[in-house]
Amino acid sequence: MKLPAVHFTQRQHEFRFEVRQFLKEKCAEGKFHTKCDSWLSGSNPDFSKLVGEKGWIGLTWPKKYGGAERSSLDRYILTEEFLAAGAPVAAHWIADRQTGPLLLRFGTEEQRQFFLPKIAAGTCYFAIGLSEPNSGSDLASVTTKAEKVEGGWIVNGAKTWTSNAHDAHYMITLVRTDPFDGVKKHNGLSQLIIDLHAEGVTISPINYMTGQPHFNDVYFENVFVPDEMVVGELGNGWKQGLAELAFERSGPERILSTLPLLVELIEELKKQNNVIALEEAAKLVAQLWSLRNLSIGVARVLEEGGEVAIPAALVKSIGTKFEQSIPEITRLLVDTYPRLEAKQKLDRLMAESLLHSPGFTIRGGTSEILYGIVAKGVVAG
Amino acid sequence: MSEMKEMILEVVEKMFKKTVDKETVDLAENGHWAESVWQILKDNEILNVAVSESAGGAGGDIDDLLSLYQLVGKYAVPIPFTETTLSNYILESYQLAISNDSITYCLPQTSLVMNDDQTISGTLINVPWARHVKEILAFAHSSEGVFPVRLSLKEATIHPNTNLAGESRDTVTFNQSKSLQVQSTPLSDDQLQDLNTIDTAAKNALMCGAIEKAFLLSVQFAKEREQFGRPIHRFQLVQQHLALLAGEQAIASSSLENMIAALLEGREQNEVAYTRIRLDEASRIVSTSAHQVHAAIGVTHEHSLHQYTRRLWSWREEGLTANHWKKVVANTLLTTPFDDLWSYLTDSEKIFTTN
Ligand SMILES: Cc1cc2nc3c(=O)[nH]c(=O)nc-3n(C[C@H](O)[C@H](O)[C@H](O)COP(=O)(O)OP(=O)(O)OC[C@H]3O[C@@H](n4cnc5c(N)ncnc54)[C@H](O)[C@@H]3O)c2cc1C
Repeated sequence: MKLPAVHFTQRQHEFRFEVRQFLKEKCAEGKFHTKCDSWLSGSNPDFSKLVGEKGWIGLTWPKKYGGAERSSLDRYILTEEFLAAGAPVAAHWIADRQTGPLLLRFGTEEQRQFFLPKIAAGTCYFAIGLSEPNSGSDLASVTTKAEKVEGGWIVNGAKTWTSNAHDAHYMITLVRTDPFDGVKKHNGLSQLIIDLHAEGVTISPINYMTGQPHFNDVYFENVFVPDEMVVGELGNGWKQGLAELAFERSGPERILSTLPLLVELIEELKKQNNVIALEEAAKLVAQLWSLRNLSIGVARVLEEGGEVAIPAALVKSIGTKFEQSIPEITRLLVDTYPRLEAKQKLDRLMAESLLHSPGFTIRGGTSEILYGIVAKGVVAG
Repeated sequence: MSEMKEMILEVVEKMFKKTVDKETVDLAENGHWAESVWQILKDNEILNVAVSESAGGAGGDIDDLLSLYQLVGKYAVPIPFTETTLSNYILESYQLAISNDSITYCLPQTSLVMNDDQTISGTLINVPWARHVKEILAFAHSSEGVFPVRLSLKEATIHPNTNLAGESRDTVTFNQSKSLQVQSTPLSDDQLQDLNTIDTAAKNALMCGAIEKAFLLSVQFAKEREQFGRPIHRFQLVQQHLALLAGEQAIASSSLENMIAALLEGREQNEVAYTRIRLDEASRIVSTSAHQVHAAIGVTHEHSLHQYTRRLWSWREEGLTANHWKKVVANTLLTTPFDDLWSYLTDSEKIFTTN
């Protein structure tokens, strides 16, 4: 496995500083506070609109759909800066990362024209409807079903763990459009865009262990979905979903969820002039650097249309473990008392990191499932 | 070892099973007082364990007490049981009167001072359960040293605060408050050391209990949850988590047993420190693997796992932490004369056998 080295142009550096400057200003204006895990648990529609106004959602998409036709490395830089600043980008995150590219690749012209400009404006949000109560890792066993009727489909079933469904307008939903034949469970699955405000859709919040709402149960009772809302080919939902995964698994959000804590740790140790602890922290810095190399390398190969399923699974499995290790190593180097309402920034970031860290190695495919993918891949050569 | 121990533990575990469920803990985390739990322990004189009968207690020893704390950790029991019983145990060791009601304690903080007129002033932070209990065993500084004092919390201004597990860790301010009782002499170095030791020993027992529960919940879940047409405990990577959890549970529990044995025989040198340091490591491994086995359901508020993992994340930072005890061990290694590490480690056993 060999990935290209990281190289940014002068223009890309300038773009990075432009984004950083913008985020500094917004933070100073009190538009947001730096938080760990902000890309999934920091939903703030007002902030998403601000980002949309800057033209920073759908950065790589064609201009006619509201995009900026810029490179995916530009988008990578943008994403890194949002994560490093701990900015609340969760509301538009899924639409920007997944729905846009999915519709550009498999969607109809009408779907693109209808959804993409709104997503790019930061006013239209999507949720991911994959998991069900009995289908987590074994995703292909989903049972939510769509039955053909005149002009569309009638959907019945339930999705669970749907992050931010309470703020989202639509959900890309994996459903069974052909009955399960008992043998090839990956067949007969399709992706439908379901309007979360449609009749028959019930969203009930599931509180996270902090007691705060985070994800949701989404129930479908005879929900009508028009034919125009089928994404790509009927029965091709599994393959279309796999195509998204390389983007989903290799991005900087699999490395940087707890970066604000690491940044704060280094500042604290500098203040203490604690050289021995800084030497320990240097290991985290080297780890961060090496994971970024891997992740950016994957981004470059993706841009050229190359095959990256295995390195993408590696970025996620190693990266999320790194994210989890930051609070655990921090507490060995400085005295902390983690508390969500703490006055000390370090204690607050520590609390956020600890409480959210179990999810890092679960969401988007558990580490165990990823190890299986990697091992199968390297054995197959 | 107390003969009554097994029986007491069995009875108390039954009480916890009966009165402490997930909702009781939820309510307590939201600031409610779990009267039914408190009452059943009070009615059965469990609150007076390890205080001698002559001092108004129910008898028993530190072994009983620490074993009970392990149960408190295992059920996330949301009342100041540890605080009340340990305060009384310490008070008796200072030959001060024990409290007949609920009492908490707080390790010495320099901000608390004894004024010339013997009144007490200053602010204590992270005091467990202050808003719910009647009295506190605190330690006040004066030019002569540090004095154990028993105070009524009626005299204090209390600002509620919580740790990461929603347990009350309040800010308590005294302003020229009269104490109920003061030890006439300042704490000796030995007393101070004993205080640190017993507080950490109690935390160790609590953590050990929470570790056991996280392990048990994971085993149970791995048997019940099916994916790909089989229970997940059939997958080798899940087996690896279960084996890691089993290992940490076994290490924690045998560390605790040996720590208690050392305390009972008065040969405690490093056992409390070793246990504390080792449990710090265990808290990380156990919370990681337990959550990984449970996957999404385990991070929901509805599931009880987080009541144990959040307690582990909280308790490991409270009192004297592993970071402190590492320094103590390092200092002992530096200053105690011994041939080499191996003889040092095995010599303390020799002291014991000749005793
Ligand atoms: C914070 C968070 C946000 C989420 N957001 C969304 C969302 O927006 N949309 C959505 O659809 N889903 C979402 N999920 C759900 C997530 O995708 C699932 O939790 C994940 O796929 C695992 O499924 P499960 O929780 O049912 O665990 P299970 O599949 O039941 O797994 C339990 C344990 O068994 C292991 N295991 C299972 N099968 C195997 C195997 N074959 N080999 C080895 N080990 C195995 C797992 O690794 C895990 O350790 C979210 C989850 C979290 C934690």
